[in-house]
Parts: sequence; structure tokens; C-alpha cells
Amino acid sequence: MNLLRTLVVSTAIACFTFAGVAGAGTLDDVKRKGFVQCGVSQGLPGFSNPDEKGNWTGIDVDICRAVAAAIFGDASKVKYTPLSAKERFTALQSGEVDVLSRNTTWTLVRDTALGLNFTGVTYYDGQGFMVPKKLGVKSAKELNGASVCVNIGTTTELNMADFFRANKMEYKPVVFEKADEVVAAYDAGRCDVYTTDRSGLAAQRLKLKNPDAHMVLPEIISKEPLGPVVRHGDDQWFDLVKWTLYAMLEAEEYGLNSKNVDKMKSSSDPVVKRLLGIEGDMGKNLGVDNNWVYNIVKQVGNYSEVYDRNVGPATPLKLERGANALWKEGGLQYGMPVR
Amino acid sequence: MAKATRKSSKRMTVSQEVMIQMIDVHKWYGQFHVLKDINLTVNKGERIVICGPSGSGKSTLIRCINRLEEHQRGQIIVEGTELTGDLKHVELIRSEVGMVFQHFNLFPHLTVMENLCLAPIWVRKMPRQEAEEVAMNYLERVKIPEQARKYPGQLSGGQQQRVAIARSLCMSPKVMLFDEPTSALDPEMIKEVLDVMVELAESGMTMLCVTHEMGFAKTVSNRVIFMDEGQIIEENEPEEFFNHPRSDRTKLFLSQILHH
Amino acid sequence: MAAEKKEALVLAKPPAKPPIWNDPRYRALFFQVLVLGGIILLCVFLVHNTLANLARQGIASGFEFLGRTSGFSISMHLISYAEENTYFRAFLVGLLNTLLVSVIGIVLATIFGFILGIARLSKNWLIAKLATVYIETLRNIPLLLQLFFWYFGILRQLPGPRNSIALFDTFFLNIRGLFSPQPIPQPGFWWIPAALGVAIAGIIFLARWARKRQEQTGEQFPVFWTSLGLIIGLPLIATLITGFPLKWNYPELQGFNFQGGLVLIPEFVALVLALSLYTATFIAEIVRAGILGVSHGQTEAAYSLGLRPTPTLRLVIIPQALRIIIPPLTSQYLNLTKNSSLAAAIAYPDLVLVFAGTVLMQTGQAVEIIGITMAVYLTISLLISGLMNWYNKKMALVER
Repeated sequence: MNLLRTLVVSTAIACFTFAGVAGAGTLDDVKRKGFVQCGVSQGLPGFSNPDEKGNWTGIDVDICRAVAAAIFGDASKVKYTPLSAKERFTALQSGEVDVLSRNTTWTLVRDTALGLNFTGVTYYDGQGFMVPKKLGVKSAKELNGASVCVNIGTTTELNMADFFRANKMEYKPVVFEKADEVVAAYDAGRCDVYTTDRSGLAAQRLKLKNPDAHMVLPEIISKEPLGPVVRHGDDQWFDLVKWTLYAMLEAEEYGLNSKNVDKMKSSSDPVVKRLLGIEGDMGKNLGVDNNWVYNIVKQVGNYSEVYDRNVGPATPLKLERGANALWKEGGLQYGMPVR
Repeated sequence: MAKATRKSSKRMTVSQEVMIQMIDVHKWYGQFHVLKDINLTVNKGERIVICGPSGSGKSTLIRCINRLEEHQRGQIIVEGTELTGDLKHVELIRSEVGMVFQHFNLFPHLTVMENLCLAPIWVRKMPRQEAEEVAMNYLERVKIPEQARKYPGQLSGGQQQRVAIARSLCMSPKVMLFDEPTSALDPEMIKEVLDVMVELAESGMTMLCVTHEMGFAKTVSNRVIFMDEGQIIEENEPEEFFNHPRSDRTKLFLSQILHH
Repeated sequence: MAAEKKEALVLAKPPAKPPIWNDPRYRALFFQVLVLGGIILLCVFLVHNTLANLARQGIASGFEFLGRTSGFSISMHLISYAEENTYFRAFLVGLLNTLLVSVIGIVLATIFGFILGIARLSKNWLIAKLATVYIETLRNIPLLLQLFFWYFGILRQLPGPRNSIALFDTFFLNIRGLFSPQPIPQPGFWWIPAALGVAIAGIIFLARWARKRQEQTGEQFPVFWTSLGLIIGLPLIATLITGFPLKWNYPELQGFNFQGGLVLIPEFVALVLALSLYTATFIAEIVRAGILGVSHGQTEAAYSLGLRPTPTLRLVIIPQALRIIIPPLTSQYLNLTKNSSLAAAIAYPDLVLVFAGTVLMQTGQAVEIIGITMAVYLTISLLISGLMNWYNKKMALVER
């Protein structure tokens, strides 16, 4: 069935791109249809996951909502397309989605040969291993001969191969297409090890029958910079998605948040004035309204609000800011100046 | 022609040796009583024609003789062997009794020659070469030796029925059963099959024929049996049978079949 | 008057040739050329357009990727394969896995289907009803569900490697698969296959001799039992004489899993089970229809010649039934092969999962990879189809 889907999408690339779907003008298209079509995961808590009422939540979802807030002044004007790891790029290439915000690792091949552009990093991650505690394994170096459950079409699949090769260990991959199937196979004991991004491990662990019977091994075997992706060749749209993230980081850095943003309109700080569109034509340059940052922060929040709400220490995922702290606090997140 | 054949039929001898004996034979299909109290003795060299309206049980009667149908009561003895549930007896009798069907039932996936040789090789354990010689001999007797390498589907109906007769003869049967052998044929082909049957009769073969060919009955048979509703109604020499039928049902049947 | 005369003359002429646009032959030709031309134009347009758009979007195209290092591992490979091998080698691994599952599935489905089909015709009430219930149930449940049933429902319930179900301490069954000893030939081992070869040659010779003797003398020889004796006996004698030159590599629990020995992974078992049990129901119905399709008169004719039931079935009924069976059987074989692509749903590394899955994702060259995959399935299907058509033609009845 997914073969069929890939096939349809490939044919769609072949036929309909000619009609100009992927050409310049995604922003105009989005404005015309009145919503952002956002490619998300099929359910990964903290990143993109539907709640009991069917509302999507998570960091990746909030990026899409922020883009919608910037364009329409209304963060709810987003439609979501759940995609498997295997389907995601074809869906973006073919124009099925406007932006792919689906815990996707930024790599050179994806950025070039696949005809895509990564707009930034929403979450700095690394790949880890989870094992049942009863195996008594303390380090990933002890995994020789293990069966490993993994998601198809991910960088994870390749990182794992590299790791085992580099350490001269053998392993048996069991490859599934849906993240849920991988977790279920691991939970049933089909594999000894489950590997994915550490944020994913933290999230998926919540779905296991007995989360406390499993542990994440200390090794981080790769760099996994996760971020939103758009198509090559549409710079206006690329800029908008890129600066939406920077605006959220800048808002955090300059103390703007959803609660104080109205008050801050009267601030005398020129940076804040530029951000909130009181001075300068920042929004116009991007092709949206000048109070775009106000809308983002008011409706979605700054980066730290989004982080804490979805994956932070107060959530079931309990992920510390770590590498995702602002540069001033020793982290890697660095918003480019809005000026 | 009819006169000549008639004369020849007079020459045919009937011995006193008993070939088939049916004693008090009954058969039911579920509730339906198809054969009722059949008593029939066939001597060696007899040529018996069985006629009667459709559904009268005449086909069933001859099919009981080689146990294509099973009788439920009474005795059937063929050449001293009684037909019972014993498979050995059934096989023995089937290999001694030839049968010709209304629809020929040739094996369409085999050539004429292979059709003829199948049973001699697999039942009689005859060497193939000998089987083929025998088969060729019979094909010549039914006057189609040139068709030996063809498939049944390539032959006309009359030719197919002659092959079917030759196929039975290859087993050198002691009795031949004919189940309406000409009913499925186009009129112009009936004669070629009847000619073969007449010749067979002249050679002294014991024959039981279910047929509506009254000409054949008059000239070749030495006894005609009339059946209705599962019973033998009347049994007589052909001359008496046709000229002085005794029962009303026979008269009615003959009037329908001769004056239509 | 003059006009009338002229008309008469025209009528008297031989019928004029119709104008070329009214001639049905030319018309047919014209439209065929038109349609063919349209199709070619469309193809050229599609290919050109695809390439142009791929280039415009900066998506890589071409087949160079096949020579690049794959970098990923595959859980089951019939040929040697490691991460250092190329994408092309990964493609071969996937293709062979697909072929393996298809061939084994076809063989099992055929055997099981024939048994079921004949069982449904059985005079034994219980056997016939059991076969009917089986066929009607499995035929009407979607294949994907049956696949999930076997994989998630049954095989997932097996214990972990440390609690394996052991048979004689040599066979081990657990959630990771069925582990059995692997034979490792020692010096002198070649005597055994050699003996087997001699046995097979002997059987061929024996069969010919028996047929010839049967044709010449009519005597029949118990070829089957003698052959069975030869094929078991000769290698056995060779084994005894050479002192069993074969070592077994027993599977052993080391670390996480059993190491050594041969292993059947559960994904493979589930796929073969689901495909063959499902397809067998269709084959059973085809076989039943084939046997019923041979008129009862054929059986009667054979019986009346004195043939017993078994030779009747073998010499008369089955050769004719096969002609009815083969064409629909071909499409069942094709279905099974194509259905094997459902492997991707349960992590069996077939062509679709490995090539149209992992390789596609790593390279992103969807158009080429889906194209190759479709071409492979098309080729396999056409090969099966061609083979069966050839066999069918060979078996066809000659008619007037």
C-alpha cells in the first residue's frame, strides 16, 4: 500500500510539477488556499502527536503553527499530513505538503540530492540505544550479536550500521516502516535493542508496557540536528520558515513571551521594537504582515515556552535543555539578528 | 441388402452355453425403483436388442452388467463370476465385457492408437508392439486404419464411434454392451456404425444393444426385449415381436416408433 | 433521356473501389497508427518532463547510485552481503529474497491446494466438510490480515531466546526464529552427493528400462519403491563406509541470541505461511473445478475397459483436468508472487522493503527505483506467464 503511495507520488512528481506546484510562489499559494499544509510524524510524543481530541501538539507542530501565525495572524490555520519516515520526502517533493516538520535529520545528501532545503535546527539530538534492564547491558559496546529494531528510511539505520562496523560488532536489523511497529516489535522481544534519536527514545518509552523495565544506554552515536524542511528553489518560502524559527529564538533571548508581549509593545528597546513591527519593515521583507513576530509569540510562544511545554523537564519526556539552550547559556541555539 | 443380411442372421448359431444370468435383480435410485425383478439369461452368441420408452430402465439394466451401476437385490452372474462388492470380481468382469457409449467417451488427450492400446497395455500387460498390432487389426475391421495417429477431436462422430467399438474389441471381450450407440450421430453416419455392428454380430459376438434402430433389431437380433417402468414386459423373437406383439404397451410403443 | 442513359452506364460499371477513407482496412490501420503515435508522444513527454522537473528541483537522477556503497545491513541474505557492498548488491539480496519466498510459496501452495481440492471432492463426509470450511474461511479473509495473524498473533507469542522451546537440544524455537544445526562437510564428504548422483542416474536408467520392458513384454516393474530404496540406500551406504564425514554446527545461546546453525527468521515463516495457505484455497477450487470439468463418461469408459481407479485418475482424468487447471493456476502463481510484496508490512527484507524502501530512502531516487522495481515484477510475471503458456500449449487438445 505504501509502494502504491510512493508510486502515486512519483507519478505526481513526474506529471504535476510541470504545472508549477513546486515552482516559486509557495507563499502565494498558501495565502490563496488559506492554510499551511504541514507534514508531521504519525505520532511521536513531544514532537508531533495528536492528543485525545485529535489536536496535534509538539515542537514540530508548533513550528507549523508559528508559520501560520506569521502569515495569517492565526496559528490555527494549519492542516496536518501524518507521514512515515519513508514517505516524508516524496510528499514534500511532490507538493503534497508545504513544509515538512517531522523530526528530520539535516544531512548533506538530503539537502542536495533530494532537492530539499533545511531551514534550521529546532532540536539538537543524537542517536541512542534502549535495552531492557534485565539484559544487564551497561554500554552500547556490549551489544555484539544483538538484534536491533529500527525504523526504515532513517539516518538511524545508517548510523547504527556505522557504529557496529566501527566497533567490529555484528548485529541483525529488523526493519519496520511505522515507528509504532518498531516499538511493538521491541516490546514483544523480537529485538534486544531499540535505536532512534534520544528524544524519540524518551518519547517512545512512554508507549511500552512497562517503561521502567527499560533503560537508555549512555552512548550517543551520532549528531541528529532536527529541523523543518522545504523544497529547493523557492527562496521566499525558505526565508519565511527559516526566520520564523529565528524570531522565536530572538524572542526568548530578548525576554518576549506570550504573557508579556502586549506590555512589551511599549518597550523602548529598539530590538524589541523591530521584532514587534513597531519599527522597520521586517515582515514586509518576508512577504507577511509587520506584526508577524507579535502573532507568533502571542499565539505560539517563544522557543523556551515551546520547549518546556512539549519536551521539557516538566513533561513526561523529562528532557533537559542541554544542547538546545541559548548560546548565551552555553547551548547551541542561536537566533540570527532580526534587523 | 436387407434380405441378404437376414439370410446371414439365420446362419448365426446360438450355443447353449450361458454367458450372463440375471436373477431377481432390483435397483433403486433413492426412492425410485428403476429395475423391478429382472430375470434374464443370455447365451453365448446371442444378439439381444433391448428397447422401450425413455426412462424405462434399459440403459440401467446393461450398465448393471459391468457394474457401472450397482444393483441392490438379486444376482448377476457373468461367465460364472458373480458381481458382488469384491473388487477383484468387478475388475475381472469389466475386462471381459466391452461397452460402447452413446457419446463415444473416447479419451480426447490420446491419439486413436493410444486410445486402443491403453487398456491392453495397462490391464492385459500386453507389450506395446503387440498391442499396436492388435489395435491396427481392429482399426482395419472398422475401416479407419488411416486415422490411427489422429486425435478423437479430428474425427467425425461416426468415425469416433467406430474407434470406440474397436477400443472395446482390443480387450477381446466375450460380451459387448451397446448403450444407444447411434443416438448421438447425424443420420448419414448411423449406417457406417450399424454396418460395423452387423459385421460384429456375424462374427458370433454376444451382444446386448439398447437401441431404437428397429431395422437392426429385425435383421440382426435373435431376441427383442421390451421394457417399461423398470420391468421386462415382453421378450420374443424379432419376427413374433414385431408382427404379433402381445401386450398393449408394446403395441403402443411400436406404433409410436414405426409410424412417426 | 441522356441523363438516364448515363446513369445506366454508371450502374453497369464494375463496383468502384471505395475511397480510401471508407476502406475498413485503411481506416483500421490509420487509427492504430494514430493511437500508437499518441502513446509514444505521451511517453516521450512524460520522460522528458520528469527529467526536466527533477533537474529543476535539484533532485538527483540516473543510475550511478547502484554502484555506491550501501552502508546498511540486511537481516536475511542468500548471497554474502555486508554494509561495504553496493546498492546493486542490496538490490540482488532483496530480489533473491522475493524469489525465494515466491518459489517456496508456489510449491507449498500447489501441493496443499491439490490435496485440499481432492479432499473437497472426497466421498468421506468429514474430510470433504473440513476442506470446505477451510477453503471458505481462508479464502474470504484479506491476505494482509492473515499475514498479521501469523506474524503478530502467533509468532510474536513465542518465548525469548533464553526461554526457547528446545527439541533434542538441537532445534530451538523462539521469537527470533527457528534455529537448526548446519551441516559442515568434512574431507571425504563428496562421496555422499556422488552416491546420490549415482542413485538418480540409476533411477533414470531404471525407469527407461522398466518402460522398455513393459512395452516389450508387458511386465511391470515396481519403479517407485525401487527408486525410493536407491535414493535412500546408496547415500546411506556411502555415509557408513566413509564414516559420516559431516560435522554439525549446532546453534548455541551466546550473549543475546543463538549463534551458528541455520536460522529461519519469523518474518519469512509468517510470509510463507500466509501466502501459501491463502493461495492454496484458490488452487484447491481450481483443482476441484478441473476434476469436475472432466466428464464422468471418461471415468466410466476407463472403468468399462477394466482400468482400476488409480490408473484411471493418472492416465485419463488428471491429464485432462490439467488443461482446465493450468490457465487459472498461472494467475494464482502471479498473484502469489505479487502478493509477496506485502513482506514490507512485517519486516521481511524482500525487494520492496530493501530496494523500494531503504535504498529509496537513502538515495531519494524514487523514479528510478520504483521503475526498476516495477520492471522486476513485470519480468518475473511475464516469465511465469510465458512458462505456463508454453506448458499449456504443449498439453492442449488437438481438435478438428
